[in-house]
Amino acid sequence: MKKFLFLTTLFFSIALLSACKKDEEKATFGTFYLQFDNIVGDQDLTIADAASSDFKYTNSLDQNFNVSLLGYYITNIKLEGPNGEVFVDPVTTGAAAADVKGIYQVLESSTTSQTIGLSNVPSGKYDKVTFTLGIPADIVQEGATGGVLDPAEGAWLWNWDAGYIGFAFEGRSPASPVAASQWNPENSVQIHIGGWKDITDNPMMVNNVKTFTLDFGTSVSVSDKLEPKAHIEMDLLEVIDGHHGSADFTSTNQVHTPAGGTEFAENLHSAFVVDHVHQ
Amino acid sequence: MMNSRHAALEFIILCFNFFTMKNLLPFLLLALVFGGCQKDELPSAKYSFVKPAHFPEPVYPLDRNPVTKEGFELGKKIFGDPILSRDGSVACNNCHVKGVAFADPQHPFSIGVDEREGLRNAPGIANMAFMKEFMWDGGVHHLDFAPPNAIENPLEMDEKMTHVLWKMNQHGSYPALFRKAFPDMGDTITSPYLLFALSQYQNMLVSATSKYDHYKLGDANLTANELEGLALFEQKCAACHSGILFTNQEYRNNGLDSEFADLGRGKITESPDDMGCFKVPSLRNVELTKPYMHNARFKTLEEVLDHYASGVKPSATLADELQQNGTLGIPLTPTEKARIIDFLKTLTDHEFIQDTRF
Repeated sequence: MKKFLFLTTLFFSIALLSACKKDEEKATFGTFYLQFDNIVGDQDLTIADAASSDFKYTNSLDQNFNVSLLGYYITNIKLEGPNGEVFVDPVTTGAAAADVKGIYQVLESSTTSQTIGLSNVPSGKYDKVTFTLGIPADIVQEGATGGVLDPAEGAWLWNWDAGYIGFAFEGRSPASPVAASQWNPENSVQIHIGGWKDITDNPMMVNNVKTFTLDFGTSVSVSDKLEPKAHIEMDLLEVIDGHHGSADFTSTNQVHTPAGGTEFAENLHSAFVVDHVHQ
Repeated sequence: MMNSRHAALEFIILCFNFFTMKNLLPFLLLALVFGGCQKDELPSAKYSFVKPAHFPEPVYPLDRNPVTKEGFELGKKIFGDPILSRDGSVACNNCHVKGVAFADPQHPFSIGVDEREGLRNAPGIANMAFMKEFMWDGGVHHLDFAPPNAIENPLEMDEKMTHVLWKMNQHGSYPALFRKAFPDMGDTITSPYLLFALSQYQNMLVSATSKYDHYKLGDANLTANELEGLALFEQKCAACHSGILFTNQEYRNNGLDSEFADLGRGKITESPDDMGCFKVPSLRNVELTKPYMHNARFKTLEEVLDHYASGVKPSATLADELQQNGTLGIPLTPTEKARIIDFLKTLTDHEFIQDTRF
């Protein structure tokens, strides 16, 4: 259905475009880039080896830690401008990787994944971006999906409580008493934020998929010659040590359930800030 | 000259053998199909999903992954292939055996790699296309996502999806079979197609031809005892085991224990109301799917009914249906139990377990 809608939209867009060619004023389009930069407080976030004992970061309880895995899913991206400009990044799904569009897995370990290029953005001014963090119900309920949602290709599929982890942090902290096992290194800290179910008749089902809007603080212009870029900083400390919940690694070191991740999901909005925009 | 005469002779012998080997009917059908008949639905119809007339609409999105002969047969091959397990020792059909309606015929808790014992009894697989959620705890909301559970569970197949796909892409026959089943796939097998094939196979496993079904459709009679059992069943059991699927697809604590070694549904919802609750299983083919309950507590249907009559244990989350009028359990006389079991046996679907397609 989504694919059909997308194709229909595409068809009409092309039809519209060809119609415009005859006019004097051409509608033009450009590319808008979102670049994600992960930080820990005032330090840049860098990935350590899973067994590393180099603990660069410190939380508010003076517990040192490092980060061996950090990433999140972004989807349903929308740009809006002061004069009513709206761009919605189309989301399509399917079994073939090529059919999966508008869903992004941003990984600290992959530089290319940190920049999302939104093409076919109508020329105009834009001053805010809205996106969903995590994979929402309509996509999870489609069933097996390819590309960034393929569990054999690195997708974070929770299989016992089927759905995708929206935000994943793994590392080590000397404060964590976790012993080495087949699943964890010694002193392991793993906080996986997942849970998408908003099911009627079941008020206890936790939905940790969050949608929020970030203001640029200024407006930037898109045209066929202007390709602006918004630098979005994600502060891991705000997620695991924020206003709505803070992980004391001595007791909160393995978060693998929807309810367990709720307080950290509440922190997500304030963890993402537009640091600056380039025209 | 000799050669062509020899060949002609061979052809005559071949034709003679063909007809004497009672292959006449398929030959005639084939002739019909190739002989200008436009409606060549016969061979493929056997391999498309058909909703039984007395069943509800399927839940599975069949338009997204329609059943084809190639996809179904590929799914069947994978279902029986231990390539899905870490050491090549466990296939789906180790624990889901056709002869017992795709339940486990011998182990209370199914046995995974390295003889590891699982935590729950393997349920039968039938009528999956009509189910809203899967597993005893309903943690899986879509049939496509059921197999990774078994594949990646350390107590079951203890394998990684990535490695399964790697093995399949190296395999002598899988790449060609996948490309045939999924022409849009491209050259590399990816997990959605693996899961689609397994779903196609499981969606076809429709059990709707039991004696009870024939009775419902008006082409068989139940005995007096079976009819008596049906009336008792509707009065005493059908609140949960409701409808043509014999499950309301909800979760209940049926009083096996007062304290829960396995939180069941509670582990998924993290709700105190769901602790110790498990999916109400379909009772289709229940005669074949022993032992019973998520923890294989009971070996016979008699033991199950004894439990409901006099073994139900109280707890905070015990099903309301099992504590009506201040009494624990369901009042049942020995005769009533026997009649209910007579009825339950009419849910055994011999055509299903003998279906040569499966």
